[in-house]
Amino acid sequence: MSTPRAAGQSECLLSMRGITKRFPGVVALDGVSLELRAGEVLALMGENGAGKSTLMKVLGGAFAPDEGQVLIAGRAAAIDSVRAAQRYGIALIHQELSFAPNLDIAANIFLGNEISGRSGLLRPLPRRALRARAKEFLERVGLFVSPDTPAASLLTGQLQMMEIAKALALNARIIVMDEPTSSLTAGESEKLFAIVRQLRADGIGIIYISHRLEEVMALADRITVLRDGRHVGDLEREKASHEALVSLMVGRQMSGHYFPPKAERSAGETVLEVEGVVVQGTRAPVSFSVRQGEILGFAGLVGAGRTELMCALFGALPVLSGRMTLRGKPYAPSQPRDAIERGVFLAPEDRKRHGLVLPMSIAQNTSLPDVRRYRRLGVFDRKAERRVALSEIERLRIKARGPEQKVVSLSGGNQQKVVLGKWLAMNPVVLILDEPTRGIDVGAKAEIYRNAAELARSGIAIIMVSSDMEEIVGLSDRVVVMREREIRGTLTGDEISSERIAHLMTRAEKSTGGQAA
Amino acid sequence: MRRELGMGVALFFMCLGLWVSNPDFLGQSNAINTLRQISMLGIFAIGIGFVIVTGGIDLSIGSMVGLTGVIIAKLSSTQSGGLGYPLWVAIPAALGIAVLLGLMQGLLITRLSLQPFIVTLGGMLLFRGLSQTIADGGTLSLGGSPLLDLASGGILRVQGEPLLPYPFLIFLGVIAVGSYVLHFTVYGRYLFAIGGNRDAAEYSGIAVRRIEASTYLISAGTAGLAGVCYAAYIGQMSQQVGVAYELYGIAAAVLGGCSLRGGEGTVVGIVIGAAVMRVIDNGINMFQIAYADQDGIRRLWRLNPNWTFVIIGAVILVAVVLDQVVHLVQAQRRVRESSLSVTRGPTPDARSLKPQA
Repeated sequence: MSTPRAAGQSECLLSMRGITKRFPGVVALDGVSLELRAGEVLALMGENGAGKSTLMKVLGGAFAPDEGQVLIAGRAAAIDSVRAAQRYGIALIHQELSFAPNLDIAANIFLGNEISGRSGLLRPLPRRALRARAKEFLERVGLFVSPDTPAASLLTGQLQMMEIAKALALNARIIVMDEPTSSLTAGESEKLFAIVRQLRADGIGIIYISHRLEEVMALADRITVLRDGRHVGDLEREKASHEALVSLMVGRQMSGHYFPPKAERSAGETVLEVEGVVVQGTRAPVSFSVRQGEILGFAGLVGAGRTELMCALFGALPVLSGRMTLRGKPYAPSQPRDAIERGVFLAPEDRKRHGLVLPMSIAQNTSLPDVRRYRRLGVFDRKAERRVALSEIERLRIKARGPEQKVVSLSGGNQQKVVLGKWLAMNPVVLILDEPTRGIDVGAKAEIYRNAAELARSGIAIIMVSSDMEEIVGLSDRVVVMREREIRGTLTGDEISSERIAHLMTRAEKSTGGQAA
Repeated sequence: MRRELGMGVALFFMCLGLWVSNPDFLGQSNAINTLRQISMLGIFAIGIGFVIVTGGIDLSIGSMVGLTGVIIAKLSSTQSGGLGYPLWVAIPAALGIAVLLGLMQGLLITRLSLQPFIVTLGGMLLFRGLSQTIADGGTLSLGGSPLLDLASGGILRVQGEPLLPYPFLIFLGVIAVGSYVLHFTVYGRYLFAIGGNRDAAEYSGIAVRRIEASTYLISAGTAGLAGVCYAAYIGQMSQQVGVAYELYGIAAAVLGGCSLRGGEGTVVGIVIGAAVMRVIDNGINMFQIAYADQDGIRRLWRLNPNWTFVIIGAVILVAVVLDQVVHLVQAQRRVRESSLSVTRGPTPDARSLKPQA
């Protein structure tokens, strides 16, 4: 199956030339060119909206380009459907993994590719043969589970491997991975990197889309940067630097004050105290507290139990045992409504699903948790709703045409700000931010950080769960580190460094230090 | 398979109870009639199951059953209002129209991205209206037509009555073909993939729209087959034939384990679901308890037939509630085990807590 080609630097697998794609009112891609050689990892970088996904959709046959040409192995290719892309040996692994949870692994791996001849939908399904072949591909990607396992029971990292197996089953020569590590644990990511390197050695060309600079620097042979639909740079890995890439992506020099200085904040009294709490997903009782005006970071790998804990604080998951105190009074939310009434708000990890009603406007989203407040003489007061939304748009610098704009048409960063604005309009006591910058580009991240710091300064207690080490270190006044569903330590002030956090996060057993914060 | 097994067991005990209360339940005439009823419902319930597996819905089926029958009656009846064409013209014509109408609905749904509920709701009213127009608001009689033998006839005759009525044989054919297509072909796999995750199917290069459209054709086609049987069985076609049958079909599919969210369901389950529906229906008439009144005269207590819909509705609700309760209890147990045990398994999926009926 593999092609033992000696570092095929010369063979040009894929060449996209002058690709232009226009949508009504926008030029999504403006004469973008890209080259991929066999046995190379090409990182494709750029902020959200830079055109990476559009370019890959052109490659994958979902969009037809208005101009430009795609050459596969030197020959012009007409990629006008997903099937055509597959025939040219192109496989896309989407960021939001798309698999059929009701089917087993073997069925997912060969979905759309059951019978090589492809003729005759009514031909019998060769179950046994598919199962055996699935097993082969699973072993190749290091996923040692039975092909009969339902896909729904796999973890995110395993699903990623299943998707790669699917690409291999298609006999793909070009594999596109879109943000593959965005929801993987460090261990799973390492495994993924090993497989990517293996694929590269087998002569497969990989286009690797990622926001994570460290990852790109570790993995890529070359880096192509897009900005605003244009190709703005091609760098060899050796010549690329962290700063150079960021400034290429953003189009301006990032100021040194990416994170607002911590010195400006001072913590007041304890607001929320959590004692011996056990929730779905925690292994041992968890205790910590958060004070007024501080940002308490929650570091840990995905699956460390942080999100479940935050959901419990917000009343979205039951607290199985333990005790919580909010401003000196017992606090036991049994549903989010109870938490909201006490001023404890959650900006959830999956903002599109749990944070916003996408087809509604900014104003409607802002008033949603507190509709009763907008009653005047028994009638809903749209003017007041608009006024409040407008003031949040200004405070958070949300880029929108106005409060009437539908949330679905905003960028990720601005959507996150609408989630924040929704809660700010209600005067939070404790604000929980779960992965506040996931999938948000560099520029918008800086603004979210500034907003968070300002809120803390105004006396709100902020709990921030993040898998982004940089932001945990840069923003938190104190850091709680979780591992395998229990608290492994708390760091304050100068103790907060990526090395120490990583140490706590990854070490199997910890001999010293308590669990409580 | 949990639901299929549960309903299978429930069906068995239901039949047992009915037989104990009234041995006539399994008497030749009642048993064969019930079998015929199950068959006619099952034929189109399997078709609707194809739609439901992809996550769609077809509300036009009942009207389609009626329309097929009315067209056959109009074309072939030798009585007043009929055109007197032979059956070999009338039946294929009626089935062809049904399939065509189903295909049209499917194309509207997939090509214009319309919601199946609305399109087939429109179809339901439209086809019903067509039946009314064709029958001119009245009744078309199939009296004297050889078609009537289709319902009353069959094979393995005992004392003049067939043990296996023709509709049952058609049903067996639909079961065989349906099972093969849904569970053993590439096409069937695609139906489940589309119901499980439409995007994944699309990204895998599956012609999602074409396949989805085809399910409405299948559903209309089986409704047409059922329509032929009902026409033969009833003999008098009017706009009233087939009213609300789509809901019986959907209920049979759901009782048998199909999820209206798509991606789940089996032909066996639908067959069991159809049987449960019809046995309840029949059981309400058959169920009786013998008792002696004050004067010591033996009397039979029977269910009031006005309770039919109350009982059917309650059975459906009880079935889905029980299923969901079992599901929630299992999910909760998993959560507790993984939260407090020392094992370091993966964090349980929050989705497992959400309802899945």
